[in-house]
Amino acid sequence: VVALDGDTKNSTFSELFKKEHPSRFIECYIAEQNMVSVAVGCASRDRNIVFASTFATFFTRAYDQIRMAAISESNINLCGSHCGVSIGEDGPSQMGLEDISLFRAIPNSTVFYPSDAVATEKAVELAANRKGICFIRTSRPENAVIYDSGEDFQVGQAKVVSKSKDDQVTVIGAGVTLHEAIAAAEQLKKDKIFIRVIDPFTIKPLDSETILKNARETKGRIITVEDHYPEGGIGEAVSAALIGEPGIMVRRLAVSHVPRSGKPNELLKLFGIDKDAIIQAVKSVVSKSRNAE
Amino acid sequence: MQLLGLRECASAAVDWFLCNRLKRTRVFRFFLSQFCHPTSCCSAAEIMAVLFFHTMRYKPQDPRNPHNDRFVLSKGHAAPILYAVWAEAGFLPEEELLNLRKITSDLDGHPVPKQAFTDVATGSLGQGLGAACGMAYTGKYFDKASYRVYCLLGDGELSEGSVWEAMAFASIYKLDNLIAILDVNRLGQSDPTPLQHQVDVYQKRCEAFGWHTVIVDGHSVEELCKAFGQAKHQPTAIVAKTFKGRGIPGIEDKDAWHGKPLPKNMADQIVQEIYNQIQSKKKILVTPPQEDAPSVSITSIRMPSPPSYKVGDKIATRKAYGQALAKLGRAHDRIIALDGDTKNSTFSDIFRKEHPDRFIECYIAEQNMVSVAVGCATRNRTVPFCSAFGAFFTRAFDQIRMAAISESNINFCGSHCGVSIGEDGPSQMALEDLAMFRSIPTATVFYPSDAVSTEKAVELAANTKGICFIRTSRPENAIIYNNNEDFQVKQAKVVLKSKDDQVTVIGAGVTLHEALAAADLLKKEKINIRVLDPFTIKPLDRNLILESARATKGRILTVEDHYYEGGIGEAVCCALVGEPGITVSRLAVGEVPRSGKPAELLKMFGIDRDAIAQAVRDLVAKA
Repeated sequence: VVALDGDTKNSTFSELFKKEHPSRFIECYIAEQNMVSVAVGCASRDRNIVFASTFATFFTRAYDQIRMAAISESNINLCGSHCGVSIGEDGPSQMGLEDISLFRAIPNSTVFYPSDAVATEKAVELAANRKGICFIRTSRPENAVIYDSGEDFQVGQAKVVSKSKDDQVTVIGAGVTLHEAIAAAEQLKKDKIFIRVIDPFTIKPLDSETILKNARETKGRIITVEDHYPEGGIGEAVSAALIGEPGIMVRRLAVSHVPRSGKPNELLKLFGIDKDAIIQAVKSVVSKSRNAE
Repeated sequence: MQLLGLRECASAAVDWFLCNRLKRTRVFRFFLSQFCHPTSCCSAAEIMAVLFFHTMRYKPQDPRNPHNDRFVLSKGHAAPILYAVWAEAGFLPEEELLNLRKITSDLDGHPVPKQAFTDVATGSLGQGLGAACGMAYTGKYFDKASYRVYCLLGDGELSEGSVWEAMAFASIYKLDNLIAILDVNRLGQSDPTPLQHQVDVYQKRCEAFGWHTVIVDGHSVEELCKAFGQAKHQPTAIVAKTFKGRGIPGIEDKDAWHGKPLPKNMADQIVQEIYNQIQSKKKILVTPPQEDAPSVSITSIRMPSPPSYKVGDKIATRKAYGQALAKLGRAHDRIIALDGDTKNSTFSDIFRKEHPDRFIECYIAEQNMVSVAVGCATRNRTVPFCSAFGAFFTRAFDQIRMAAISESNINFCGSHCGVSIGEDGPSQMALEDLAMFRSIPTATVFYPSDAVSTEKAVELAANTKGICFIRTSRPENAIIYNNNEDFQVKQAKVVLKSKDDQVTVIGAGVTLHEALAAADLLKKEKINIRVLDPFTIKPLDRNLILESARATKGRILTVEDHYYEGGIGEAVCCALVGEPGITVSRLAVGEVPRSGKPAELLKMFGIDRDAIAQAVRDLVAKA
């Protein structure tokens, strides 16, 4: 296993690998295109298992190289940190808001979006053993560990993290928005509204079976919420997977336009993907249905 | 030469940090303690002071004035120093500096164009010089004005290939109105840079790329003033040896301080030390620019005449693009075209032949081409159209992303979309470009299916703000629209319709023609389909699609020469999910393709007329 980084190792935390295995870490400096190409070269003839990291958004710099890596049938693993508006004050130039779309459109790719440390560790292990381009999307804010160390994770296997017999809506979140959804669930309980919360774990392949099953148990109502632009992300993946299933509706919360600087929680609020926005959407979906009935 | 002597320059360098007024002291103290990247700002203090208060000609109260010298902070993380100089120049109220990075302030963590003094957003490193090249090219060849363009780069970002694409470009086009300053402070984000303080190596590299290059002590105001004064018939690079965190004892030239604010007690002490060094409290007047840039208006650009094609004739949309662009170029002299050595394939060559002075060959350097286009479009000086194979715009996705953050109004044409290009194979096929451009905020995605609609798309793009993308094809297909057909953004067309349609088939480009051919096949089996041309994939004409679907028992079939993810099918799914009784079946390219004849590949990847006909039969049978 070798690691590469583009002068962001103290932010992506690949420096932890470097400290322990310095001879297996390749500093590529601020040159992401070349970092990806070098990774592809290192992985050829199965000489290495490669993990390259930088800010998620800077993989846009190497999109042609990633595209060609797929045509090369390469098995490289890429980790993009600092996804979404939740990075805060650095602003939009540093925010990954199109990376899920970017990696979904790569043939044979796997897109991991782990929501806590346990799931992240599992994602790394799965990626190392999985063919094709693997992408792991990580976040800057600190969030709670929600899974037990013994929890099993598989590609294409979502997790239901919150469930009751009276769930009205299925809410799908990932990374920071999964934690916002969990917080929303807690608050909605006080109003006697219960929601089911799903962690997709991999956006590609998507566990559409689990999502559909749970949606059917919550009157067909799905809300997706992602720290990403609307196009090509979780909401679009879910919509495409479930279109045509009768009685299913999907409301999508995402970042609707170029963001700005601000504190992370202020930005989550401003762009309508925080706990309160989820609560609002749940209530609106529930009352809309009631009215329809 | 100037109002200022060197002594005043020296004091100005320190003076811009703070002056005798206490509130400025408070500002600077706050700066050091609050903002990220103080060390990156300190290495550039003298450079910025000399540029803004000695060298540059501009109107401080009118930062966007077209006659002004331009400045690009390529090392965008040093934004605070940019804000500080504009406050010193009198444009920003000093109190505003205290609101840096707050959600209520325009002073974002990295420069963005809601600030009048920021033409292009920076923060993704290595892109500023390309934009500066576009501004300089515009100044020299289009505006033919005296304004100069200055670009400040960090040394960490000199690892980016895009910087060297720009260096080559500036030399090829002899941009002697362009000055790049390299702030060589030895330290990157997480480590020292590869060359550290080897300024002689940087000098050799710049000279090898054709730049007049001088090495200076980046903290010597005197040397900087002299370096900027030299005029040459080449672009100029100033290699400034500096120290990150300069002026902050204990931090200067030390590792691990990138992105870290200073602790409060340290900040207080440093402020006092600098304050004690101030020699002069005199305010420095900025020299105004020469006013010789022509006035330009780029609104309401109209084709000189309607399209002149004949329904049924065959022509590739890539060729129609070239013809349309050349035609538009006759209507307005600020339409410019750029290409990455594919002009004979994208047909931008037709524009070049007709308007050679407005065509910029960017060679095989797509990242730089996009940055140059962004630079050319700043201050509304030009309306750029960049063309390349659609697949190669993936090379410039970061530049396109930043162009949206820069609120840039540039137009792209990506040819050779899909498997339908044939034998050249997957490396040349655009199969993810719709996904890519759809994910760009401010984008409009045109996918015209014949020459008439392609011409209309070009005209609409020239008048539509934001990033516009036109997807063109290699194969020749029939003209299906009359010359007087009206086209609008977000307006789809029903190209085939009867009272008895069983399925709505949505295709675009080659697949629209395959859908029409499928309709013919199916008619013989007494199955009628409605065929819809979306024209723009973003924004999508949801209403017409929904209306058509309802008239065809809720059945929609999308077919696209693109991968499944992020394209037409997903866009339609998103638009219609939750609408009762609607189903969307999708045909797309399901895996990495290969070489073959276009018709063979369309068949192999299940997006040809036979696949469409079969999918329709299956949908009808299912019901």
